[in-house]
This record gives sequence, C-alpha cells and structure tokens, in this order.
Amino acid sequence: MNASPLASSTDYRTQDPAVADRFKRLYQRPVILTVDNLRKDFGSNGTTRTVFDNLSFNIHRREFITVIGPSGCGKSTFIRIAAGLDDASGGQILLDGQPVSGPGPDRGMVFQGYTLFPWLTVKRNVMFGLEMRGKDKSTAENEAGLWLDMVGLSKFENSYPHELSGGMKQRVAIARALANEPRVLIMDEPFGALDAQTRAQMQSYLLQIWRKVDVTILFITHDLDEACYLSDRILVLGTNPGRVVEFIENPVPRPRSPAQCTSPEFQALKHRLEELIHPPVEIEEQQLPMVRLTEAGDDVE
Amino acid sequence: MASPSPLPKRNSDFLGLKKELPPRRNWLLGAASFLLPLVLWSIVSYVPWLWHPLVHVTDAGEVEMFSEGMDLPRADFDRANTQAVTEGLTPGKGVRVNPVYLPAPHEVARAFYTAFTTPPRLPGEPWLHQSLWHSIKVIASGFLLSSLVGVPLGILCGSFRFFSRLHEPFIEFFRYLPAPAFGALCVAMLGIHDAPKVAIIFIGTFFQQVLVIANTVRKVDPGLIEAAQTLGASRRKLVTRVIIPSSIPEIFTDMRILLGWAWTYLIVAEIIGATSGLTWFINQQARYRNFDNVYAAICLIGFIGLGTDILLAKLGTLIFPWRRRNRGPSFLGSLISRLIKPLKKSISNAGSATAPATVTTPTPTPAAADTPPSA
Ligand SMILES: Nc1ncnc2c1ncn2[C@@H]1O[C@H](COP(=O)(O)OP(=O)(O)O)[C@@H](O)[C@H]1O
Ligand SMILES: [Mg+2]
Repeated sequence: MNASPLASSTDYRTQDPAVADRFKRLYQRPVILTVDNLRKDFGSNGTTRTVFDNLSFNIHRREFITVIGPSGCGKSTFIRIAAGLDDASGGQILLDGQPVSGPGPDRGMVFQGYTLFPWLTVKRNVMFGLEMRGKDKSTAENEAGLWLDMVGLSKFENSYPHELSGGMKQRVAIARALANEPRVLIMDEPFGALDAQTRAQMQSYLLQIWRKVDVTILFITHDLDEACYLSDRILVLGTNPGRVVEFIENPVPRPRSPAQCTSPEFQALKHRLEELIHPPVEIEEQQLPMVRLTEAGDDVE
Repeated sequence: MASPSPLPKRNSDFLGLKKELPPRRNWLLGAASFLLPLVLWSIVSYVPWLWHPLVHVTDAGEVEMFSEGMDLPRADFDRANTQAVTEGLTPGKGVRVNPVYLPAPHEVARAFYTAFTTPPRLPGEPWLHQSLWHSIKVIASGFLLSSLVGVPLGILCGSFRFFSRLHEPFIEFFRYLPAPAFGALCVAMLGIHDAPKVAIIFIGTFFQQVLVIANTVRKVDPGLIEAAQTLGASRRKLVTRVIIPSSIPEIFTDMRILLGWAWTYLIVAEIIGATSGLTWFINQQARYRNFDNVYAAICLIGFIGLGTDILLAKLGTLIFPWRRRNRGPSFLGSLISRLIKPLKKSISNAGSATAPATVTTPTPTPAAADTPPSA
C-alpha cells in the first residue's frame, strides 16, 4: 500500500502544460450539470439520517467525471437523484440550467446489474428508448443497428441477453442508454461485476465511445485505477456526513493508454486518492481474537 | 476401458442433493413415481393373503345362507361352513376377494375403454364422452370468464398501489368465503343448469387469481422499471412494455396452478342444481356399484389435468423463448417431447411453411422417433 518513492516525489497537482491547457479549455465549455447545495435524508420523522449535505459543484459539457468515496458515503444515492429516480431532500440539480425532476431520456443510466430487458433481443433492447420517444420502428431499428456497431455487437443483435457474457451485456446497456442521445450518461459501478480482464477491455471501449459521442459522463467506481484511468476530474466524496472532500483535476495526459498506469502522475494521483479514501490513522487492522484451532507446525504466515 | 468406476464418487451425487440429476435418471424416477403407487395397488389386489377380507361364494354347497356370487366377511363364511360340516351338510366354496370398492388395476384399465363404449342405461342419459365434454365446457367457461376480469385487475393491482389498496382488502376478505357456500344462491339467481356451475368456478377462481397475479406482478425487478424510466418510458408504457412482458411467464405459471384449483371446484359445481358432467357419471356408476368405472373417471380427471398442465408448460417454453435456459427436462416434459416429436416431424414434413418456432432438423429418416430427447 505504500506509495513508491517516485510517486511521492511528484505532486498530483503539477500538470503538464498540455494538460493545464486542456483544463483551461474544458472550463470554457458551458456548464451542463450544476449540483447546488444538495442534501439527502433517509428515514421518517424522528430518526432521519443525513446521507450527504452541501453537495455543490459544476460539471462541464463532455467532461468525464469519476466519483469515488468510501462505501456508504452516498455515491449511489447522489447518482439516483441526478437520474431522477430519487428526490433530493434539499438543494437541486440543474441540467442545462433547468432543475431536474423525475427520470428522463436526457440522462441515460447504466446500472451495475445490467438491467437489460430479458424478453427483448439485443437489438430490441437498444430500440426501447427510441421507441419510447416515439420514433417509428424502421428508424429505431436503423439507429439501434448503428449503436450496436459502435459497441461491436452487431453479430449478436438477435440474441437474448441471457446468451451474452457480462461484458457484452454491459456494452448493450451502454448502447441502449446512448441510443437516446442523452446529455449526461450516468454509470453506477458499471464494471464492478466484471473480471479484471473484461473490465480493462470495457474501460478502453468506454473511452473510445466517449471520444466519438457528444456526451458527459458521470461514472461511479470504487476502483481507484479505474477512476484515474478514465477521468478528467475525480470527485472524492467523504462520509459522515457525505460531502465533497476534493474535486481533483486528473494530471494524466490524454489520450490514455493502460501503459500510463506506471507514470509518475498516475501514481501520484492514485496515492492521493488512497490517502483521501483510507486516511492512514484508520488503516490500523482490526485484530481478531487469537484462538488457535490447529496444531503447531503448519504456520501459514 | 470398462474398469469399474469408483463407487463412492458415484454415490455422492446419486440422490442429487441440490444438484440436477442426469436426464435419464430424471426420467426413470418420474416413471417410478407413477409405478410406486401402482405396484402397491397391485400387491393389495393380486396377493390373496395380504388383505382380501371377503369371500366370494362360487359354490353355495348346502349352506342355507350362501348363494352363488355373494360376498361376505371371511369370519362369517368360515363360521357358517364349520356349522354346516358339524351338521353333516356339504360346505360351500369360495375365493378370497377384496371389497367391490377396490377393483384391481386391470379392471380399472379395462374400464377406461369400456366406460366409453358402454351406452347409458336410459336413452336420455349422456355417454361418458358427453359427460366429459360437458365438464370441460363448464370449467373452461368459468376459468375464462374469471381470467377475463381477474388477470387485468391483478396486473392493475400489482402495478399501482392505488388499485391495490382500493380492491385487495375486499378481495382478501371474499376469498375466505368458500365458493360452495354460494351454491344455493347461484341456483336461485341463475337457474339449475350450467350458469350456476360456471358461477361457482368463477367465484372459486377469481379472488385467488387477482391476489396471486397482483403478487406476481409486484415481484417485477424494480431495476428494470427504473431502467425503462431513464429511457423515457411513460407510466402507461411502463405497464405495457415492462411490467406485463416481464411478469407474463410467471403469470402463465400462476394460471396453470389456478386451473388446477378450478378442477377441484368443478366437482362441487357439478352437484349444484342438476347434477351433470363427470360428477353425474361418477355418482351414477357408484350407484350401480361399477366401481371400476368410478376409478376410471376419477383417473380421467387427473390425466386431463396433468395433460393440460404439461401442454401449457410446453407452450410456455415455446412462447417465452428468453426463459429457455439449459435446465434439465422434467420427466413429463421429456415424455411429452417424446410423444410429440413424431407428430412435429410429420407436421414439418407435411408443410414446412407453418413450422413452429423451434428448429426441427429435417432428417429424412422417419424412424427417428425413438431417439432419446436431446439434452
Ligand atoms: N432507501 C434507503 N433508505 C434508507 N437508507 C438508505 C436508502 N438507500 C441508501 N441508504 C443509506 O444511504 C447511505 C448511502 O448509500 P449509497 O448511496 O448506496 O452508498 P454508496 O453507493 O456510496 O456505497 C447508506 O448508508 C445507506 O444505508
Ligand atoms: Mg453504491
């Protein structure tokens, strides 16, 4: 867990001139999503518990934001409010200046559990949102075909979801969300259930897609490497109560490649995230009571 | 090659604890489940010293109280015979038999055929097949009428809390009222013919149906509903495009179970007003003490119920292709596929234009009917 000496010698805030320039241009883009003093309480009168409070930040058009934070800090809750699936207890979220209320096709969502419609073929799944918005069948079919091409699954358009692997299912889910041409694509630990190799593949797919499509991505993950590899900026949330701990500009230059994982910027950034997520004082391993159930002579450590 | 396989390993999954059995064993066990009671019944019927509490008199001898063809308890028979011997009379002869209400398997098997071919005693009375058809009509009408209202209402209650609260408490109350209790009312309102019978089946089915289907619909994965919402589905579309298609296979299964319940209401329904259908046949035959026919008719109900259920289950796998996982086939399922395979083949040979959704490989050999079902 200790950072390498190389990483600690580089500060995660020092940016390459190209990266700094990129952020300057990024901030000149219009703000697409404004989170304004957002608060969420759970529980009925008497025993309310505040999950987070005073959440405020801006996201610019076509940014790739990753959200990290300790488990239970309210990442999913925040993202569900952004998607309109839950209501905020205070404050508001503005999309293009308009307060969001209720779910809508302008905010696409990709869940960890795929949530593909099992009774529809892959293509019909992608067509679902298009049909909901009143496109006629042949248009929807054409567009769905294009999106399936983009995620590389045209060959499986007539398969049912249960015939696909996890990674393929998630690609269909991404195609289905993007087919609606949402302003923001919200993803809640989308690759959390995938094995390491598939996950790496999916990350690179996602970056390729994002490059080609005019969409802002809000991506929750608990994988720090994933957060560093994908993001423009990383929103670090803290817990008790949930709040913004830091909104970090990712110093790793684009275009990204897996080889950058060993670069000093990457390491410095990851080291910083580790510090924020697991403060060193709390790392103290909880000792289990020492009861030996085996005879001596087979020490495993 | 033929080295004995290690026994402990084979034994470890022989009983299939939380594990699918191989299809062949599945099949055999299914057959055994029918054979077991049949064997028991045969033993009781054919092994003379097992039960056979009566004696069927074949030769009355000189015993006054005997007459040829009568059945009487063994103790009485023996006593009368010893009495006769001490009085110097020729004793009677007889064979041990079971009571007339327990016919042997072969008698019931024969009755399956003869019951259909024996004309009714009185000219106006229905044949067995007419009674059967009458029963099927009554149950189908009652079940269809109930489903016509019950399924939509169940879906509505399962989808919207509003309708659930508006309807379910009363339905919950009403379903505890036993349907037969409404018999007299139904006759008073609807006459003595088929209408009150259909009404009884309706009452017996409808209230359960609404609750069962509402519960099934409530189990729809909320993730799917949320996904559809983020894709822009309106409330109406959520019901028609997500909730219904997602729960329809389970609703279909519910309907199969409910249809089974409807059969039990049939017997009650048929004695309301003018007795009719299979119940009439059974009562009539019992009155003539043709118990083999009674058993045959009762088994007939079982076979029809089971048969419809298997057919519907097969139909389910046809119309819900996304449910077709590689699960081991059930005994009856594979039995049916064995039975309908030659049928399918002949259909697809006759005209491939109306081929069913499943892929049937067009093999030219017609003798492929006895190949084992593909895994
Ligand atoms: N429907 C709910 N009712 C009550 N508490 C909830 C509900 N949903 C989430 N919570 C609580 O809110 C906190 C944040 O949950 P969540 O947003 O899922 O965290 P994260 O996704 O960051 O792990 C958790 O402590 C959880 O117990
Ligand atoms: Mg979460």
